[in-house]
Amino acid sequence: MPKSPARPKAAAAPEIMLPRVSPLADVAIQGRFGADRGAPGVEFRVRHPMSIVTVIARQGQGSAVAAALVPHAPQWAGPDQYFVIAEGRGEGALYRELKSALDGIASVSDQSHGRVIIRISGVKARAVLAKGTPVDLHPDECAMGKSALTQMAHVGVHLTRVGENAFDLSVFRGFAESFWEWITEQAEEFGYMVR
Amino acid sequence: MTSFRLDKGGLIDRSSELNFTFDGKAFTGHQGDTLASALIANGVHLMGRSFKYHRPRGVISAGASEPNALVELRDGGRKEANTRATMVELYDGLIANSQNRWPSLDFDLGAVNSLASSMFVAGFYYKTFMWPKSFWEKIYEPIIRKAAGLGTASKLPDPDKYEKAYAHCDMLVIGSGPTGLMAALAAARSGGRVILGDEGSALGGSLLSEREEIAGVSGYNWAQGVLAELASMPNVTLMPRTTVVGWFDGNIFGAIERVNDHVIAPSPYEPRQRYWRIIAKRAVLAAGAEERPVAFGGNDVPGVMLASAMRTYANRYAAAAGKSVVVFTGNDSGYRTARDMQAHGVHVEAIIDSRTESKADAGGVPVLRERMIANVSGGKGVAGVELTDHTKISCDAVAMSGGWSPIVNLACHRGAKPAWNEAILGFVPPETGKAFVAAGSAAGRMLLSECLADGASKGTLAGKALAVPKCRDEAFAVSPLWWVKQSTGKAFVDYQNDSTAKDLPLAAQEGYKDIELAKRYTTTGMATDQGKLGNVNAIAILAEATGKSIEQVGTTTFRPFYTPVAFGAFAGPFTGHHFQPVRKTPLHDWADELGAVFVETGLWMRSSWFPLAGEDWLASASREVLATRNGVGICDVSTLGKIDVQGRDAGAFLDRLYCNTFSTLAVGKARYGLMLREDGIVYDDGTTSRLADDHYVMTTTTANAARVMAQMEFAHQALFPELDVTYVSVTEQWAQMAVAGPKSRATLQKIVDDLVMSDETVPYMAAKEVTVLGGVPARLFRLSFSGEHAYELAVPADYGNMAARAICQAGEEFGIVPYGVEALSIMRVEKGHVAGGELNGTTTAADLGLGKMMSTKKDYIGRMMAMREGLTDTNRQCVVGIRPVEPGDRIRSGAHILKLDDKPSMANDQGYLSSVAWSPMLNMWIALALVSNGRARHGERVRVWDGLRGHETIGEICDPVHFDRENKRLHA
Amino acid sequence: MLIPCPHCGTRPVEEFTFLGDASVKRPTSNDPASMDQWFDYVYLRDNPKGRFDEYAHHAGGCRAWLVVSRNTATHEVYGCVTARDYAKAGGKS
Repeated sequence: MPKSPARPKAAAAPEIMLPRVSPLADVAIQGRFGADRGAPGVEFRVRHPMSIVTVIARQGQGSAVAAALVPHAPQWAGPDQYFVIAEGRGEGALYRELKSALDGIASVSDQSHGRVIIRISGVKARAVLAKGTPVDLHPDECAMGKSALTQMAHVGVHLTRVGENAFDLSVFRGFAESFWEWITEQAEEFGYMVR
Repeated sequence: MTSFRLDKGGLIDRSSELNFTFDGKAFTGHQGDTLASALIANGVHLMGRSFKYHRPRGVISAGASEPNALVELRDGGRKEANTRATMVELYDGLIANSQNRWPSLDFDLGAVNSLASSMFVAGFYYKTFMWPKSFWEKIYEPIIRKAAGLGTASKLPDPDKYEKAYAHCDMLVIGSGPTGLMAALAAARSGGRVILGDEGSALGGSLLSEREEIAGVSGYNWAQGVLAELASMPNVTLMPRTTVVGWFDGNIFGAIERVNDHVIAPSPYEPRQRYWRIIAKRAVLAAGAEERPVAFGGNDVPGVMLASAMRTYANRYAAAAGKSVVVFTGNDSGYRTARDMQAHGVHVEAIIDSRTESKADAGGVPVLRERMIANVSGGKGVAGVELTDHTKISCDAVAMSGGWSPIVNLACHRGAKPAWNEAILGFVPPETGKAFVAAGSAAGRMLLSECLADGASKGTLAGKALAVPKCRDEAFAVSPLWWVKQSTGKAFVDYQNDSTAKDLPLAAQEGYKDIELAKRYTTTGMATDQGKLGNVNAIAILAEATGKSIEQVGTTTFRPFYTPVAFGAFAGPFTGHHFQPVRKTPLHDWADELGAVFVETGLWMRSSWFPLAGEDWLASASREVLATRNGVGICDVSTLGKIDVQGRDAGAFLDRLYCNTFSTLAVGKARYGLMLREDGIVYDDGTTSRLADDHYVMTTTTANAARVMAQMEFAHQALFPELDVTYVSVTEQWAQMAVAGPKSRATLQKIVDDLVMSDETVPYMAAKEVTVLGGVPARLFRLSFSGEHAYELAVPADYGNMAARAICQAGEEFGIVPYGVEALSIMRVEKGHVAGGELNGTTTAADLGLGKMMSTKKDYIGRMMAMREGLTDTNRQCVVGIRPVEPGDRIRSGAHILKLDDKPSMANDQGYLSSVAWSPMLNMWIALALVSNGRARHGERVRVWDGLRGHETIGEICDPVHFDRENKRLHA
Repeated sequence: MLIPCPHCGTRPVEEFTFLGDASVKRPTSNDPASMDQWFDYVYLRDNPKGRFDEYAHHAGGCRAWLVVSRNTATHEVYGCVTARDYAKAGGKS
């Protein structure tokens, strides 16, 4: 059996001086855009920096992993697969924590930099999302906390209901700018705020 | 009276004044008008010229089925051809022009076609223009196309936006007449999510046009009450201006919402149209019924129209079709037109009823029974009619009614054919299952009370059906009335295609007896209206001509879309820069700062070369190669697919995917892998590293990343589900850069934390987890695609630009350059590394010189089929190097290889150049090529024949490794 | 067409890609004598009218490989199971 090398210093290092730069840093400009009659129908916020970790149960460990993840409010991301997300954790901290906690029962991969989460909220949030996804987001069909994997504008989106009129949209980082341009255009008719 | 606007009534806002032009002439109308109603109110009946004969034409209908009054609406990039004037809502500043006329609508030279009309019978194109054959393409077709036709499209880009959207509901109600309103109300009160869609500008359907009473109030007022209730319910979505155009598998309906067609230009934030895909648990077709014209001589003279259309213009739009009208009918509904027109103060000369008797109320208008209109006199307007008994009546408008056809189209979009109903003389919808049912007159229920009751019953989702309001029914009795054979003038069946009643017996006589053949031979039922008005008459006439029943003849096939749909609506927002998403690497900004020229690779934008002032791509790429090979270079390789493979069986799984073995790979090491398809052909390649016993990270080529992921998912889930393995794409998590060249180690050493880099600590093919720049977690691989001493460094993507800048700073003293995919490609051709040109879906591992990688000790995808005779033949084309014998000669990718003495011909083909590059190290053009039995032919001189570009040179077959064959630089 | 994905619920067909007949079974032998079986597995496919079990990849959703059972003539969808469950059940949906 090959032996694992000792974990490098990164495994323990909590603080890094370099700031994380969002791929939407130059694109998601704060302010009001689109139609300017009345209150804006939609609000966008880029959630960054985030810790995002993929957890996939190993063979036969689906229930064990689901149980172990309860305190982390996991988001469903496919069969026996979850995203665990958190704000304000150090680089790699959530990843290391879960990797250690789920050792042997789940595969854990850090995606904190690989995905970008855009929060869309407001009375017209559903109307904007209906321009992209075939998923029925009526509260009777998509309850609070429910996640769905779908495509919008040819981009894979992990969507989670986080409020009555609020959704988190998680996309691969490389598509973030393109997706941002598309979804904000879809919101123009209702007027939108970027915060 | 110069105006044909009635003094009172109608659903128009008389206080508004909307200015518009038709063929450049200014008119006014009111809010609530259509273009057609406004023209009629201005006394304009001549709205177009017909397709073949250029006959003057006016409106026939007041709705979606209009075949004649097609106009070019708007101008510039917003010009839209073949727009139905009957569906165009009037707005201030509207511009419309008539079509298919020259030089003007009033005086059209093309009308001489009418004089030669005996030529223009069914099948005339085929009969007349077939000989000589060569004339068709060059002479006949262009002339015919110019003379016969519809509007012309704008060649300017459409400045407006279009959208797509999904909707979901428990009940979709299509049509908002009495049936639809009752169905929507029933469903809404049951608590279901309801969508009520109607193509009209206002909801209410026929209740906007008819004078009738429901529940003791006018139909219009009753409808307004129901609509107010529906509008107040949160579970109801009302969608006027929305045409449901198709019914698809899964009870999905396509609908076009005309969001801004009724204004002069959409707000910059709003779309012109929106294409809805409505996913409905259940749906009710309440589209109503269409009145049929009658085929008689001159039934196309402007001023002849459907009886219901004449009523609609008077009742809804307060526009009189004439001052003195004649009604011609074979059923009771024509009597309503006579009464309504009379009530509006329009003189009704007579009702001509083809039947012997009728119980309908004529309202005092004289009824001439058992007679028909044989001919209409007049050219650009009606002057009078001549009956079959030769009675002549002067009039300026004719209302006709041949009966009613349920609008069955949507119910037939999934293949079922409608059934003939002899009682109503119309086709009724086929059985379509519980999820989609027809109701009301769309289902052949022709009385108002039946419609209300049927809507209430079909719309109910749960519990007891809605109470049905009381109403008074109009008489409905109908007799066959298709074609007045005594006519001497042209009797049109299909107005838009200028096909006449006589064309159908002729088609039958010539053998085109089947309705589908007769349709194509006569062109009946084609073009923008798809025979909405004419098809039933055509079927009845063909039935008589062939001695069959109407049921036996049947209908042609109903296909989506119910009405024409703009291409823009199908494209939606996915045009221009939204045509496909753009994928940017985490090093994009860094490359952009350094002046990179980007190239699309799939969806990715990759830095291709980094020109300095005055450099073209070749100068830039050559400089990048030299600087890298002489010092150090840095290249963005983030686009390579990166997949985390974990689990107890991760190694075993990789062994199945790749033809070589990974379960034996040591932790901390990387290995090159080759993946085959199940048919034995090479699929993809890349390096895989083992980070822990149960954790590998594999890389794929940029182009195949998504396909390889799908293949892995398939292999695991469908073929080897027993394996305990997981895999997830981490491509986007890492910014990955290749740092190559003799100074690569010295450069990286400056940014790596706490690691003394040496051949011992980071040996060739090492894969290590390290930190850089004071704690940034990173993966360091000692890999080389360039053939140089080289590394790949991966850092979490948000740090990517900063890390690349830091490396550039660290390498400054060594003259570091950024290099792009062009330089990368040059270096790999110099080193004989295969890539996309060689992994091209036709080559085996042996063809690529990698046959030894194929394990004989394990099962893997492609193993068995790779053993086939044809894939192991030594004469197969395999990878070799090619160099021009004269070092100054240029060779080009795609050129073919011929034996030196063979003539340039594909019969003598020996292979081709798959990758070509200018080598700045060797100062010549070099190539990789696939050449038959090439490995045994090193040293042979061949002709390099570029037949496509007309170029030929002499080359020599050589080893594919053009540069540093001993790999001294790799291990330096 | 709507496909009832066991993970995601009912989704339109546009989210899926297809790989044909799911009832074919990959041979297990690497003996050259089994080449005929391999030929059949790689190349031979029926094109039945009526019920058909077909591999579908929910590429625009959960990324699971599924087996959709549908009628090729009417497009009626009878059911949908994961390819894993289908394989475990011995190729029956």
